[in-house]
Amino acid sequence: MNVKERFRLSRFVSGEKAVDTPVTLNHRRIFILPTQRGLGFVALIALLLLIAFVYNNNLAYLLTFLLASVFFITILHSYRSLSGLVVQKGRSKAVFAGEAAGFEIHINNPTDMERHHLQIKLQDSQSLTLQAQSSVHITLYSMTQRRGWHQAGTVTLFSTFPLGLFRAWSPIRFNLNVLVYPKPAHFEIAFPKAPSAQVQQGVSQQGADDFYGLQAYQPGDSIKHIHWKAFAKGLGVFSKKYGGEQSSEEIRLDYDDAPGHTVEERLSQLCRWVVDAEQAGLSYGFALPGLKLPPDNGLLHYRKCLEALALF
Amino acid sequence: MKADKNVLIFLLSSIGLIVFPHVYHIPATVFGFFCLLLAWRFIGIWNQHWLPNKPVIFLLAVCGMALLYSQHQGIFGRDAGTNLFITALGLKLLEIKKERDLYLISYLAFIVAASQFLYEQNILMAAYILLVCCLLLATLVCINSCKAQTLAALKTAAIIIVQALPIAVALFILFPRVDAPRWMVFNQQRHDRMGLSDSMEPGSISDLGVSEELVFRVKFAGAIPPQRQRYWRGPVLSRTDGKRWTQAAFYEPLSSPVVTGTAYQYTLLMEPQDKNWVFALDMPKEFSPSLSLNAAYQLITLESPDKRAEYKVTSYTDYNTGLINRSEYKAATQLPGEPSDKIKQLVSRLHGFDSPPDNFIKQLLNHFRVEDFHYTLTPPVMEENPIESFLFNTRYGFCSHYASAFVYLMRVAHIPARVVTGYQGGELNKVGDFLEIRQADAHAWAEVWLESRGWVRVDPTAAIAPERIERDISVDRQFVYGIAGENSQAYNWLKQARQLWSSVDYNWQRWVINYNNKSQSKFLSSFGISDLKTMIYWMIIIIGSITAVLCWFLFYQKSKTTDQVLLSYNRFCKKLAKHGLFRGAGEGAKDFAERVKIKLPEQAADIDQITAVFINLRYGRTATGEDLQQLKALVGLFRA
Repeated sequence: MNVKERFRLSRFVSGEKAVDTPVTLNHRRIFILPTQRGLGFVALIALLLLIAFVYNNNLAYLLTFLLASVFFITILHSYRSLSGLVVQKGRSKAVFAGEAAGFEIHINNPTDMERHHLQIKLQDSQSLTLQAQSSVHITLYSMTQRRGWHQAGTVTLFSTFPLGLFRAWSPIRFNLNVLVYPKPAHFEIAFPKAPSAQVQQGVSQQGADDFYGLQAYQPGDSIKHIHWKAFAKGLGVFSKKYGGEQSSEEIRLDYDDAPGHTVEERLSQLCRWVVDAEQAGLSYGFALPGLKLPPDNGLLHYRKCLEALALF
Repeated sequence: MKADKNVLIFLLSSIGLIVFPHVYHIPATVFGFFCLLLAWRFIGIWNQHWLPNKPVIFLLAVCGMALLYSQHQGIFGRDAGTNLFITALGLKLLEIKKERDLYLISYLAFIVAASQFLYEQNILMAAYILLVCCLLLATLVCINSCKAQTLAALKTAAIIIVQALPIAVALFILFPRVDAPRWMVFNQQRHDRMGLSDSMEPGSISDLGVSEELVFRVKFAGAIPPQRQRYWRGPVLSRTDGKRWTQAAFYEPLSSPVVTGTAYQYTLLMEPQDKNWVFALDMPKEFSPSLSLNAAYQLITLESPDKRAEYKVTSYTDYNTGLINRSEYKAATQLPGEPSDKIKQLVSRLHGFDSPPDNFIKQLLNHFRVEDFHYTLTPPVMEENPIESFLFNTRYGFCSHYASAFVYLMRVAHIPARVVTGYQGGELNKVGDFLEIRQADAHAWAEVWLESRGWVRVDPTAAIAPERIERDISVDRQFVYGIAGENSQAYNWLKQARQLWSSVDYNWQRWVINYNNKSQSKFLSSFGISDLKTMIYWMIIIIGSITAVLCWFLFYQKSKTTDQVLLSYNRFCKKLAKHGLFRGAGEGAKDFAERVKIKLPEQAADIDQITAVFINLRYGRTATGEDLQQLKALVGLFRA
């Protein structure tokens, strides 16, 4: 780190450049400034000094100096409330736009000192007490708005322990990225008809969610379709079968078929279809301009589709 | 914010403790008002809905202001300020809404704690306030902890205070002291202090209160004069109307006294006084420039007497004041009227009119001794003709009775005489090697002018109660405390403890309370610190070094993991970390090794070996001491 970087103001707020490795909090990472209450304390010391001066009272002087000294010593204690902690990023899971993305953060306290009232903030702050020689995993949430890669930004660890006169904080930037899928459209619109599809009589096309019956579980059935109530009663494992599934047909979810005026609306609708199709256990093909996925289903396929949507 | 219950209990108790000693200093109404508010708030901890709402708080605030206004003290000055802050503190207690309010209350409490020192400055009060401040800080710690743990918070606060003390002391010594400018000093109401007054009326006193209050302390540079020479001179009373003795107008002495014999050098540490009298050993010759000697050989200070002050004086116990002038002679022989025949008969029977003054003095003292005179602190009241009724009827009295009767009889025999008041004796503190003079040592004696010797001290009380003068412990005190055998062991032990305490207190007064710009510059110049600039340099150096020591103390941490295996493996991980290879949280040693090997293919063999040995040591059953040695060696040799 050169001198210019060292004195960049953004270091105080948003931290140094993003990293993947664990960050040990030290003098380079921890910043300390008095809080409003701390400034009030300074005013108190000034007032006491005035009283001591006017009355030329040595014990009042002594009390004033003691408080001034306490104020000063608290800086060291504030530093100690953060120093030595090792912060490490954990996993994060993709979400749909509009949901809060959760980021796992591990904080390890390898020292012999208990950390009281540690606060950690991404968008909302959480507080915790970290025992000596222990570590903790917490999940921080950040609201997502738009599809695509979402960066969590700066994680700030801070503490006002012990007296609340100083705030010691340490802004840390990790490469906390999460993929945000488009927000699924609200409306249920029938899957587009596959051009090659043979419509069977009596089977509703849009009835993918219509309950059809139970069937013994077979490996590969979606976990969501297991009839848990029956399982709980000890009747064995059954899968729920839905109407749409009966059709062996494949559907094709194509960008060109998706209704909507804007790109986002179309993507949103496509997203909805993908979610519904996956839930219904349909085999669905997927097509975006420049991308074509053969019909398939399962988690991997599902993710591939959503990723393509997110990054389109 | 709903303040935590524990925090509130903590805060309110410490505030109660802080305000409590003010019970002696502030009007009962203000104190009562505060107690009411505090009790209200205490109840409010458990019954939130009982707390006053906004209009009631407003009403209470108006009440408080009215109460303050009724004290007629304004808002400036010690008493007014203390009342104001205590009332404000009480009112603020009822309105705790946010965390900020808790802080404001704590800060107000600190101010009230400081105001305590404007009234009392003894060592016990200092210790008390220190403890209470610790409680207040603990409250702040509680506020800033997730869960308010009382003991842990107290411990943290105590640690902070202990760590803060060295810097506070350094600041105390080095912070430049400047006397406040005159306009800033508020006129304080004088509080009555016991002490000698400028008049004496022995006949009207039926019970001489004996107070153990300290008047001054004396530290001698060399030998301490014997008890019978320790007369500390106060106001001289020459004018009398037969009952009451007062100071005469001042006149210039003819010549300064000629001194001979032993010189006693000593330092007087006067407690705050109402009068500007300084009690020096008879006869002061050399003294601090802030003192002056008046015509009655009494030392007067030019400084304000209501602060503790230190004076250096040299006295000689043998002296000759020489001749007196006409006005002095007239004052010293003044009588309120023609003496009665009874008195004249007594004087002539003691050869007052027909023998030299020496002889008459001797006869008179002998008269006190052989006749039925008694020394008592509870004499009968003698409203009419006190001297005559004392001499001929009651014959019970204390020093003032004897001194005034003696002087009166001298004047009847045309010998110039006057009453001198002051203190006699003083108790030697063997621990600190200084004398303590208390109000109980107040005394009155007589002075007679003899042609060849000037003013000569005669103590008629010594004739009747020699133990009052000769003994180390005053008889008054024995009367008061009813101590029978002063040699009993318990008494000695008690006396020693008392002396030890007095010695501590003396040093406290001298070095802490009385540390002012004069003593500061004197103390610092003995270290070669003479001007403000060096003072500030030293302040920075000392605070810096204390901080460095503290930092080392706070941040130096020996690793407590004694597991050698883990320590070695951690060292291995540290070496890899230099290459940006970090073992993830919860990543196994084997997985880590695999990951590392991809990045460092050349060291694959070493990494495998270390990992294998480590896993065997940590989880295997066949690990031996040799394996540990091997691991240590391998890690030592490993170069990433």
